[in-house]
Amino acid sequence: MDFFSEGFAKAVALILALDPETFSAVWATAGVTALALFASLALGLPLGFGLGYFRFPGRRAARLFVDWMLSLPTVVIGLIVYGLISSRGPLGEWGLLFTVPGMALGLTLLGLPIIISMTATAVETTDTRLTQTLLSLGADRWQMLIATLVEARFAMALAAASAFGRIVSEVGIAMMVGGNIKWHTRTITTAIALETGKGEFATGIALGVILMLVALAVNLLVGLLRRRAA
Amino acid sequence: MNSTIYSLRGIEACYSEPGAATGAADACVLSIPTLDIARGSIVGLVGHNGSGKSTLLKILGFLLQPTTGELFFDGTLVDRAALRAGHLLRRRAVLLGQDTCLLKRSVSSNIAYGLRLRGLPVTENLIARALAQVGLSHADYSRRSWQRLSGGEARRVALAARLVLRPEVLLLDEPTAGLDRASTEHVKAAVLSARQNLGTTLVIVSHDMPWLTSCADTVLQMDEGRIVSSQNELGAS
Repeated sequence: MDFFSEGFAKAVALILALDPETFSAVWATAGVTALALFASLALGLPLGFGLGYFRFPGRRAARLFVDWMLSLPTVVIGLIVYGLISSRGPLGEWGLLFTVPGMALGLTLLGLPIIISMTATAVETTDTRLTQTLLSLGADRWQMLIATLVEARFAMALAAASAFGRIVSEVGIAMMVGGNIKWHTRTITTAIALETGKGEFATGIALGVILMLVALAVNLLVGLLRRRAA
Repeated sequence: MNSTIYSLRGIEACYSEPGAATGAADACVLSIPTLDIARGSIVGLVGHNGSGKSTLLKILGFLLQPTTGELFFDGTLVDRAALRAGHLLRRRAVLLGQDTCLLKRSVSSNIAYGLRLRGLPVTENLIARALAQVGLSHADYSRRSWQRLSGGEARRVALAARLVLRPEVLLLDEPTAGLDRASTEHVKAAVLSARQNLGTTLVIVSHDMPWLTSCADTVLQMDEGRIVSSQNELGAS
């Protein structure tokens, strides 16, 4: 237990002292997570809504593909993205390897299927009586689409929170595509892995505490939104 | 303005049985050779479960297209082309289905929703009046969340959300199900008031025969998709 208590005490000291190395990882994490989450939401919400709302040929195959994407190991995603953006890859000219946007690209591939799948499920499982209610009140197609979107808003917020949790805690893609470069692409998770490997448990615990606080804040926010909007 | 709001001629609603062989005859759940409903009348529909009452109500509410036959609304044939702009018809004939479904919003937002769809102004006075019609107080209920309503309260809010639209036709499927005696009296008063003050035509499905006969001009008995008797024999056969 001394291991944890000592580590925790040192963690508090590092956080209170605004340790530059610790907070460099925090800012890198915030940046890459914000980019990846924004891209995942911008692409995933309309795609997920379309997949759940409309009936079209190939819909089932599209759903299977998204579910398959959900189960892809993160190291495989890392490998694919590494292959795409490495100097010999098709996107090599863009110089994304070992950069924050490159990491965000990989993490977007992680978050995107979560947003698409959860949004599609939310729209599909919206109360089946809702369609009849909206029709009977005189809604046209566009108004029905908007109302369904609004009715599924909490489930979409939960999808965003889930994707955030997955993106912020990811280590494999960040390590492979970002390269864990100090002051640059070292995120909280890659720093924890590195510091723990070096025996610097306190720094690892400090970063872990920050990660948990961020996750707690996001979950509280989602809960608050859900209550207020109801 | 036509004195007959609905005219049904040879209406049938049929479904293919799941797993039925190709070419097998469809199962018809509704078969009405002739039915006329006068503007401003209150028509009750009674019958066992599965007798076709709700199917008829959905056809009258333009939520279901009959398999065969002709449906005239206010003297105009409602064909496939007319149903392409079905929302315009559904704004004139508003249905309250058997399963109440409120939007995940406050009571006042639920009541205002239909008005907003039509681009009509929403005022607290309108919402208060609609709530009062179903026996709910504006002060207690307007800001209440949909989650904090009992089944009976939700049903009355759903009715208020339709009354506030002042529709030409109001189609009610079991409007008093799960309501206590005082609430059913409020619903009855609201129904009679809509007809008297706005000239609304009402078609009401109910298992509560005493309540229905106290409201309706005509009560049609349905069985196996057919109208088998009419209390007043008003245009049904």
